[in-house]
Amino acid sequence: MAPISIQLDRISKRFDHTVKGEVYAVREVSLAVEQGELLTLLGPSGCGKSTTLRMIAGFEEPDEGTISIAGKDVTHVLPNRRGIGFVFQNYALFPHLSVFENVAYGLRVQGRDGPAIARAVGDVLELVGLAHYDRQQPHQLSGGEQQRVALARAVVFQPEVLLFDEPLSNLDAKLRVEMREQIRALQKRIGITTVYVTHDQEEAMAISDRIAVMDRGEIVQQGSADQLYYRPASEFVARFIGRTNILPGRVVSAAEIEIEGLRITLATGRATGETVQLVVRPEMIELGPSAGDPVEGRIAARTFLGEKTDYLVTLGGSTLQVSATDHYRRPPLDVGQPVGVRFHPEGLHVLA
Amino acid sequence: MAAGQTASWRRVAADPALLTAILAVWILLLLFVLYPLAHLLERAFFDESGFTLEPLLASLVDSGHQAAFFNSLILATAVGVLGTALGFLFALTAVRAGLSRHWLTFLDAAALLPLVSPPFTTSIAIIFSFGPRGFITHDLLGLTNVSAYGFWSTMSAETLTYFPIAYLTLRPILAAIDPNLEEMAFSLGGSRWRIFRTVTVPLAVPGFANAFLLLFAASLADFATPLILAGNSFPVLPTQAYLQITGLFDFKGGAVLSLILLVPAVAVFLLQRAWVGRRTYVTVTGKVGQRSRSRAIAPWASALLVAACVAVAVIIIYFYALLLIASLVVAFGANNSFTLHHYEVIFTEGLPAIRDTLIIAAIGMPLGGFYGVLVGYLIARRNFPGRRAMELVAMINYALPGTIVGIAYLIAFNDPPVALTGGVLIIVACYVFRYSPTGIRATVALLQQIDRSLEEASSSLGAGSGETFRRITLPLIAPAFFAGLGVVFIRSMTAISATIFLVSISWTLITVRILENMTEMALGPAAAFSVFVIVVVFIVVAGLSAILVRLRAPAAGAAARSFLGG
Ligand SMILES: Nc1ncnc2c1ncn2[C@@H]1O[C@H](COP(=O)(O)OP(=O)(O)OP(=O)(O)O)[C@@H](O)[C@H]1O
Ligand SMILES: [Mg+2]
Repeated sequence: MAPISIQLDRISKRFDHTVKGEVYAVREVSLAVEQGELLTLLGPSGCGKSTTLRMIAGFEEPDEGTISIAGKDVTHVLPNRRGIGFVFQNYALFPHLSVFENVAYGLRVQGRDGPAIARAVGDVLELVGLAHYDRQQPHQLSGGEQQRVALARAVVFQPEVLLFDEPLSNLDAKLRVEMREQIRALQKRIGITTVYVTHDQEEAMAISDRIAVMDRGEIVQQGSADQLYYRPASEFVARFIGRTNILPGRVVSAAEIEIEGLRITLATGRATGETVQLVVRPEMIELGPSAGDPVEGRIAARTFLGEKTDYLVTLGGSTLQVSATDHYRRPPLDVGQPVGVRFHPEGLHVLA
Repeated sequence: MAAGQTASWRRVAADPALLTAILAVWILLLLFVLYPLAHLLERAFFDESGFTLEPLLASLVDSGHQAAFFNSLILATAVGVLGTALGFLFALTAVRAGLSRHWLTFLDAAALLPLVSPPFTTSIAIIFSFGPRGFITHDLLGLTNVSAYGFWSTMSAETLTYFPIAYLTLRPILAAIDPNLEEMAFSLGGSRWRIFRTVTVPLAVPGFANAFLLLFAASLADFATPLILAGNSFPVLPTQAYLQITGLFDFKGGAVLSLILLVPAVAVFLLQRAWVGRRTYVTVTGKVGQRSRSRAIAPWASALLVAACVAVAVIIIYFYALLLIASLVVAFGANNSFTLHHYEVIFTEGLPAIRDTLIIAAIGMPLGGFYGVLVGYLIARRNFPGRRAMELVAMINYALPGTIVGIAYLIAFNDPPVALTGGVLIIVACYVFRYSPTGIRATVALLQQIDRSLEEASSSLGAGSGETFRRITLPLIAPAFFAGLGVVFIRSMTAISATIFLVSISWTLITVRILENMTEMALGPAAAFSVFVIVVVFIVVAGLSAILVRLRAPAAGAAARSFLGG
């Protein structure tokens, strides 16, 4: 395991709220980011992602807890002494400085000499694909170009860590995908420890080594994208990452459960007769002919989406979301048609 | 604005540049705002035996002082009402009469001229027009034995001088009332007069109140106009306090009188803050659609409005023309042959005053500009214990009538430990701390439009707070810097109420020389001085406006406007 680069130890931040008095924006968050890792803070709006990130940067001071970077306690260290590159949602380019001067800013502050600055700035602009843009003013750039300048500015002085606060949310969908690949490639290439904030789960899954899901100021689960997808710790995580069905199941024996009258072989480790919540992803349910099933489902709606066909299927007292990705091989199922519903043990996850 | 960061001394102490700036500002505020005020209070309420209310009570029962108090209130009320009405007339015309750009510029220029003129301009013109040998009373109407002094002339002069404040206050409010709202009422079948009464006027009510209070305060504090025009029959508080000190050398009496003036001034200040603070102008939608010409005003009413405004503008321009002519003839009314003699006088005998004034303005200008930007930045962007207190204290000298500030400075800095009287520093300090609040407010307004992530970006890139301020914030708030600097310059050229107590043999001011000329009835040189001041102010304002235009910063326009608002 690589050494820890950023360590948050039970940090909390409270803000004054005009109606509710003091409220926690971040509550007892602990987090360890390894050297060279890209960790994403993911969560719905207002869950405290930005506040956490801003505390790492030093723009806000935690009310409780400690923050260390590269083994040094920086809890009360000012932002300019932390060695952090920060990329803002609105880019925050200095409007009165050229692209070159924007990128050179950190180096000028460090008092580097002219030729060294010119070399470093030239290299990094090359790296982000803006080699001949150094004389442009920020307002002459497109959104994507501005964001690449912001990125260049944040990495040029070789900071200890790189922080991103929703850097792509002002770009259109296609450019977002392109830029996130660029960011990831650059991050891997220079091997810099990175914390990335987004509320877009797809972006998080695409870019991260590890994701920390936040809800109401707390981290509710950390793990790789597939861990979060296949083994969500809570209904919240299950619903936030991808689409999901949450179904009640009854434990009928040590090795078997029953969902809406269908029996499936699954060892839950729970006592017989207990009711459990099951997470079932839509693409992990199979629809087929209803030959001899004790209970059959009925198609309630169908949406053709190209790469897949989505169905709504009523089964007993539940309505299931089902995605058929093998739809090119069979005729579509019609609304009202009875179908057999099959669950697979590998596609079922029991919530604690 | 600085919400989000909690105010903590630890945070401030970790940041040497910030700590230094906060301490420096507090030391200046203590020395040049609180210390003189404390001295004023001490002089008024303490004698050898300790605390005493006797001078205050004696002053309150003095029938002359009572008269001055009530005269001040009557004058301020009248100026408030008439000035607001006149300002509303101009604002309504500008916003609703569908005037062309040229006409608007003309009206604007005429309305704003009095705000940037030296204090006695209107008074001189009134004497030239309505005095015993006045152009109108004597030459045109053939009247003899008229008096241009007293309540009516004072009130007219102050109304003409200060109504632009009401105009500047009311115009944006009327402009923000969405014409569509009036259109809608109109399409619902309301008569124009009814719509005006039930929609437009009620929406502008908070603006009226604000304009009235601003004018009331301006008139209450005005010293120059009543000194020339009020005469013996109509004493007011600022002039009484002045005479008490310069005529009778009664510092205690002057201090007490100025404190009596403080009561209505503070009341108005608090009322205005409460009123403006609580009101939100619900109709300010932010995006006014098409600026179509509103049909809410009938064509004939429009014509009437324009005619009235033009009439007022013509009076103002007539006054200034009179001033110019008087500066170019031997003795206006008596001997109207052309001469440059008065200009010769002001550039020879009057040269020390011109030189001193320009030196003082030149020193105060950058200091005031920088101070305004620094305090505005601290208030808007940094969080530290005592931020609100700093904001309030920085506004005190601006909100107080100049007479109070002048007397307080005179008393406080006459003796050790801080003996500054007679020097240049005391005058500069008076201007800087009295007129920089415009720059402070312009800075705060500008910073509210600049995302703070710019400064955060700079600090994450390794710049300390001092360096961030210098490299990022300062260039971005340059418009506010120049606006603040401009106001300090204009006021350094034109103010008198506070600094008349602070001039000395070695340092004097043009405005004080104008006053001396007036009392000696040397009206020609007074007019020449006034013309000179107006020309200099015009050149500097034009220069600064050109700089602001070149800066092309997002809020340069707003900052430029605040030149005049202050
Ligand atoms: N400066 C502040 N003053 C008061 N409350 C604040 C402040 N900043 C954040 N908050 C509150 O703290 C909570 C968390 O805010 P934060 O900005 O961290 O959310 P977020 O997860 O980044 O949301 P988003 O995805 O919308 O950016 C919110 O409820 C917000 O209202
Ligand atoms: Mg956020």
